[in-house]
Amino acid sequence: MTWSGKEVRQQFPILQQKINGKRLIYLDSAASAQKPQVVIDALSSVYSTNYANIHRGIYRLAEEATRQYEAARAKIAKFINAASTDEVIFVRNATEGLNLVVYSWGRSNVGAGERIIVTELEHHSNLVPWQWLAQEQDAELSFIPVTGAGELDLAALPPLLADGRAKVLALSMMSNVLGTIPDLAEIIHLAHAAGVVVVLDGAQAVPHLPVDVQSLDADFMAFSGHKLGGPGIGALWGRRALLAAMPPFLFGGDMILSVRKERSTWNELPYKFEAGTPAIAEAIALGAAIDFLTELGMENVRQHELQLVTYALAELSAVPGLHLLGPAAEKHGGAVAFWFEDIHPHDIAAILDEEGICVRAGQHCAAPLHRRFGIPASTRASYYVYNSNEDTDALVAGLHKVIKLLRR
Amino acid sequence: MSNLYREELLEHYHDPLNYGVIEDAEVDINRDNPTCGDTIHLTARLDEDDRIAEVKFEGQGCVVSMAAASLLTAEVVGKSPEEIAALGLRDIEELLGGMRLSMGRVKCALLALTALQKGLEEAGR
Repeated sequence: MTWSGKEVRQQFPILQQKINGKRLIYLDSAASAQKPQVVIDALSSVYSTNYANIHRGIYRLAEEATRQYEAARAKIAKFINAASTDEVIFVRNATEGLNLVVYSWGRSNVGAGERIIVTELEHHSNLVPWQWLAQEQDAELSFIPVTGAGELDLAALPPLLADGRAKVLALSMMSNVLGTIPDLAEIIHLAHAAGVVVVLDGAQAVPHLPVDVQSLDADFMAFSGHKLGGPGIGALWGRRALLAAMPPFLFGGDMILSVRKERSTWNELPYKFEAGTPAIAEAIALGAAIDFLTELGMENVRQHELQLVTYALAELSAVPGLHLLGPAAEKHGGAVAFWFEDIHPHDIAAILDEEGICVRAGQHCAAPLHRRFGIPASTRASYYVYNSNEDTDALVAGLHKVIKLLRR
Repeated sequence: MSNLYREELLEHYHDPLNYGVIEDAEVDINRDNPTCGDTIHLTARLDEDDRIAEVKFEGQGCVVSMAAASLLTAEVVGKSPEEIAALGLRDIEELLGGMRLSMGRVKCALLALTALQKGLEEAGR
């Protein structure tokens, strides 16, 4: 089952407004997604009826807040098919989840002369922390290159695994620029055969694809709730044995078992990694966002976006002078980036804004990838459950206006 | 359409003033804007009173950054390094026709000015 986007759009209050008298067309969901009414209601309901600090109060209100917070954790575990609920840690966003892995697992497990493997298409959040770790530990940072077609060049992986120095492979499950969906099953199989731990950046994939961390056989996966229609919160999933052996990342309240003046012991999973009062209402509302997506069905979400992206790639490729980035639609997630030799992305975004169309212009936190393609920046239209082909039609019409105004 | 894209600024974008490089200039600096990938290579020559005699730039960027750079190269001739150091966003907005720029375009508009200010500083002026 797929849908036109229009019925789903009705459930997002922000999309009902007009910009410059025109229908708001939101094509920047890869940066952050809009929120359905059920998520807004869940946030409001927590603060109106059930808010108190969790894991602390003996009174009824605190117990109910704790129950709902933990229920949200269970929803996430089920959504990504984690083996157990205590493998799910609430964090601020995917960035914080990846930093947690780098600081806690990375510093204890990657040593001098060992190799960290990333890819050329990573978002800065899955590149810069590993750069820092490599410098800190005197380790080597190696890259799986990206082909001209925007896919990972997997022929480069076996040589990086062959000498036994590789300890970790960190990669995105879907490029936030090219839309590329790598062949994770093959990559993880190769990495594990070489004893390499696999860290997945799920920021783009988890909102858009069915994800099953057990069948993927991954070791860590981080994602952001705000990109799937939830509030500003994220989660890190990790394999239980790995998380149990790791030192804490942040220290403070709730992550301890006992505290004496000189030393402390750590709480059990997942609380060992949740120091301080977390974003309680946001966690509960993330649970509501996951319910919303589960009701749509993640396979349906993927089919809906496949149809949108197939249409968008075809329509955009007919715009004079437009160069598309990334692979064909079947290997392409919801992000569609393109560039022109003669028109700067900032001007495109500013002129489209006059038409009520929101797109992203710049490097999308992926500077090395833009350098790989020899372009200073790109424009990105990214799709989600509430988009329709009409949005692409408006985008293409807007691009013709841009060309008329700026091309000589 | 907003006045950002009015004909006068588009003229500066398509056919900027003082586009190029001054060889052996006292001020010679490359700057970029990491969020959008804009780049500028700016060179400037000073006269015997230590005032700006000539500024040239080359680079790539959006209408705002290119038009602001073009207008700036004409505006600063005859100014002292102190006068240039005192210039800010409001002055660039005036040059661009008195508009108020949105937050996202401020860095574009200031690219050439900060390059010139930084370049003078690095040249010890």
